[in-house]
Amino acid sequence: MSNAPLELTPPNLQPQPGAPDNWRRFFSFSTDHKVIGIQYIVLAFIFFLFGGLLAMVMRGELITPDSDLVDRTVYNGLFTMHGTIMLFMWTFPMLNGLANYLVPLMIGARDMAFPRLNAAAFWLVPVFGVILIASFFVPGGPSQSGWWAYPPVSLQNPTGNLINGQSLWLLAVALSGISSIMGAVNIVTTIFRMRAPGMGWFKMPAFCWTVLSAQIIQLFGLPALTAGAVMLLLDLTVGTSFFEPSRGGDPVLYQHFFWFYSHPAVYVIILPIFGVFSEVFPVYARKPLFGYKVVAVSSLIITGLSGIVWVHHMFASGTPGWMRMLFMFSTMAISVPTGIKVFAWVATIWGGKLRLTTGMLFGLGGLSMFLFAGITGIMLASAPFDIHVNNTYFVVGHFHYVINGAVVMGFYAAIYHWFPKMTGRLYYEGLGKLHFALTFIGLNLNFLPMHPLGLQGMPRRVASYDPEFAFWNVLASLGAFLLGVSTLPFILNMISSWVRGEEAKDNPWRAIGLEWLVASPPPHENFEQIPVILSAPYGYGSDEPLTANDPTKELASELSES
Amino acid sequence: MSSANLDPTLETQTVSSTAHAEEDHRMFGFIVFLLSESIIFISFFVGYTVYKTSVTDWLPAGVEGLEVHDPLINTIVLVSSSFVIYFAERFLHRDNLWGFRALWLLTMAMGSYFLYGQAVEWMSLSFGFKSGVFGGTFYLLTGFHGLHVLTGVLLQGIMLSRSFIPNNYSGGEFGVAATSLFWHFVDVIWIVLFLLIYVWQ
Amino acid sequence: MNRRTILGLAGLAILDLLISLWVGQQAYSWMPPQASAESVLVDNLFSFMTTLGSFIFLGVIGTLLYAVLFQRAAKYDASDGPPIEGNLKLEVVWTAIPIVLVIWIGTVSYQTYDRMSILGPMESMAMGMPTAEAATVDSPEAEPAPINVYARQWAWEFHYPEQDIRSTELHLPVDQRARLLLSSEDVLHGFFVPAFRVKQDVVPGREIGFEFTPIREGRYRLRDSEYSGTYFAANQTNVVVESTEAYQQWLATAAAISPTPAQNVAYEEFNQEAQSTLDLGWKTVKPAPAPIVNYASSENDSHE
Repeated sequence: MSNAPLELTPPNLQPQPGAPDNWRRFFSFSTDHKVIGIQYIVLAFIFFLFGGLLAMVMRGELITPDSDLVDRTVYNGLFTMHGTIMLFMWTFPMLNGLANYLVPLMIGARDMAFPRLNAAAFWLVPVFGVILIASFFVPGGPSQSGWWAYPPVSLQNPTGNLINGQSLWLLAVALSGISSIMGAVNIVTTIFRMRAPGMGWFKMPAFCWTVLSAQIIQLFGLPALTAGAVMLLLDLTVGTSFFEPSRGGDPVLYQHFFWFYSHPAVYVIILPIFGVFSEVFPVYARKPLFGYKVVAVSSLIITGLSGIVWVHHMFASGTPGWMRMLFMFSTMAISVPTGIKVFAWVATIWGGKLRLTTGMLFGLGGLSMFLFAGITGIMLASAPFDIHVNNTYFVVGHFHYVINGAVVMGFYAAIYHWFPKMTGRLYYEGLGKLHFALTFIGLNLNFLPMHPLGLQGMPRRVASYDPEFAFWNVLASLGAFLLGVSTLPFILNMISSWVRGEEAKDNPWRAIGLEWLVASPPPHENFEQIPVILSAPYGYGSDEPLTANDPTKELASELSES
Repeated sequence: MSSANLDPTLETQTVSSTAHAEEDHRMFGFIVFLLSESIIFISFFVGYTVYKTSVTDWLPAGVEGLEVHDPLINTIVLVSSSFVIYFAERFLHRDNLWGFRALWLLTMAMGSYFLYGQAVEWMSLSFGFKSGVFGGTFYLLTGFHGLHVLTGVLLQGIMLSRSFIPNNYSGGEFGVAATSLFWHFVDVIWIVLFLLIYVWQ
Repeated sequence: MNRRTILGLAGLAILDLLISLWVGQQAYSWMPPQASAESVLVDNLFSFMTTLGSFIFLGVIGTLLYAVLFQRAAKYDASDGPPIEGNLKLEVVWTAIPIVLVIWIGTVSYQTYDRMSILGPMESMAMGMPTAEAATVDSPEAEPAPINVYARQWAWEFHYPEQDIRSTELHLPVDQRARLLLSSEDVLHGFFVPAFRVKQDVVPGREIGFEFTPIREGRYRLRDSEYSGTYFAANQTNVVVESTEAYQQWLATAAAISPTPAQNVAYEEFNQEAQSTLDLGWKTVKPAPAPIVNYASSENDSHE
């Protein structure tokens, strides 16, 4: 940190996004990437709580073998909306929020490439959110065909109405796709075109690499889902027969369209979290990211491979054997770039000077959960084994270790790590650690029992089950309730710290990165002058300056000093 | 935006990026968007191919195949319009506004003719979009492409009307370049579509 | 590295290996009973992968735990760690490790799959996989016609074409290759018997040949594994694997019973008053009437 300003920066008179005194900006059509980032994150988190509430009702139903708490139709609606909300309303917007907030700061830009497009993409989120929630109140209730919406079940439409849960669901997913494409075009353009002078590709923080890799997937994957969704919507509403087997259609083709996007979507979700790990570990281990270039490039390799693995979701769909074997190998190949990352993080942590802040704890927790999920993931890639556990709770356990274990924990790590930057306040470590303990115990109690259940042959998506599965289900339900409780200290911490937390310095973690050079919260347009980058990120332990100039000072004032 | 040109030593690197405004990135962003958009068409094409090679009763009862003659004329009109729009852009580059407007209008006319020809063909067909998977994919592909042609013509209309604002296009115009690129894109898609639906029967 | 470190590391690796081998053996007990020839192959594969997975998991988590416990910064220590940015040798090694592991797991999986060949002859011709090593225990000279399996919302029905018997319980002779023909009348279903470790989606508009070999007598659960709508969870029945004599006996008895409607959870639940605390009256697809069969299974029958 040799280039940290020696004298105090003059008080910034511009409005500071993130400060609670101008909270009204968060309800406006602001084009500031930092405001939009926080809008995304907060809105997404509200939907996360709602989706979690649905899950807790589901676990309430599953605490007993019989279908007794909610009607079967309600249960099916619950798991459909749980999955849909958690993916389209929580993970995607949340990660877009992180990317929005951090990418321009990290690459030394004043904003995204297209600020108005950015705001428009965000304001689509509440629109399709409302549509999705509204589907609870139409006759017949929301979609009950699962978030994968396989025809012919998704085409059955028992109410006979044109406006039904399924068509609203398709509308919401289509709008979500449009919003995501707008976001992806914006982020990719920003990263390609707006990096500060001197920031070559291999001087860009790993988080930006992962965001870029993830958004490229959105660009090539989402259109395929859109194509499938358009055809499904036409089948449902105007009576074409693309996926209707009784009239010559092919329901399995839909599965190809769906998974061609929806498997890579998992990497859209996990890649930025890999980026978060790569940012968080070096700071709290006080060591450079081990093998930075390899870690950076492996994200793009994952992007490439993600496009050729989708059939592993369809090993039991009547897929011919050669396809099963081909996609088994391609799926397993993804573990190579992923494994490289895991080893690199371990090597980063090893031999460092560890400081176990809440952010670091969540990072370490997320890494361990991801390791477990990765191992069960390779098992699932193995076609003969997958045929046994496909569509069972083993799969549910596996992907919740990815999405709740790694992604949600990674999200918490990111929030705790960048909270001082976003708000200018420090959070309470004690509450944070309580939050970590509850989350860690809750999620393992919730999702670990799903593995033995799946191995024993309990199908997923069931509202009732045979009594022999009761034991593990009770444990899982208790874990789910604990996981619900675990969000309370987090919410308390965030709100009270933001309102009256101790004021944070510009760089409370002594971290290296452009975002830590500017004030907390950063001023409008981030930099007084665009930084000129000299060295690669993560220069812990060495004494190289990151930038050639002081980006917090106007060009003119610097000149007058010299 | 910060004030530029204060210090010749720092100017070279910093100013180049600070002075750049949103419009410099628009073409890049638009190309990214078009690449993404092309995947929808590719998905439809792949779907069409899968259906055509796997469905047993491909053509609906009473349908022999598609008439190629009129669509071929349509194709020639649409493909030629790509050259016309190219020369329209050349005129604009040479600040010949009237030449630009004339050729631009001709492109719009050719695009509209294509849409008209498409409508005439749809009217004359004996099958509808409910006639099995063949009917569905035929109307889906031609209809989705037709929507793009319509969008292109509308965009061209906007660009044409904006050419009457004095000095609006003096420094080159992103809208014109993007519309033109979009038009080439729509053309290329049609060529693939034509080969797939009309030639491969 | 001095000698003691190397010895220590080697000791830890051996300990990790021993624990992993033990966990790998435990993996067998997490599975349902091994009631088919395929299940033995799948369980071996699972045990193998569990061993490897445990080895990696324990190794990495152990390293992390050590760092967390013993490599913490002292309270007022603001210094940085060693500025190590990478190590080419190490990076090559840990790129090679997953590659080798993946090829290893992939090969073992491939061999297992090859020996299972659970999709019937119809599918295997299309996929061009050799079926020579099919896990057949005993293949009789005259192959009986495949049993028709009908899946619908929400009932399973089995039709024995040679005897023209309809049943809602699938009876199979032990140690003989079972040949099924799966078809669905409405939506996607999944034919799944956990004790056999086999699963196949039933796709409407297609007939899918499906084969496996039961090797253990008993009554096992058959479940719908592909989500099929409202009463999906209730769409299950039993498979009875019995000796050839008992099987022939059952065929004879069943043929003599005149067809009656079977017990059907979905149909009965649909026609009775709501039982749940929260019922919002959302409309459902009407279940198909209970199948009319010679032999009906009972939900009260115990299964393994």
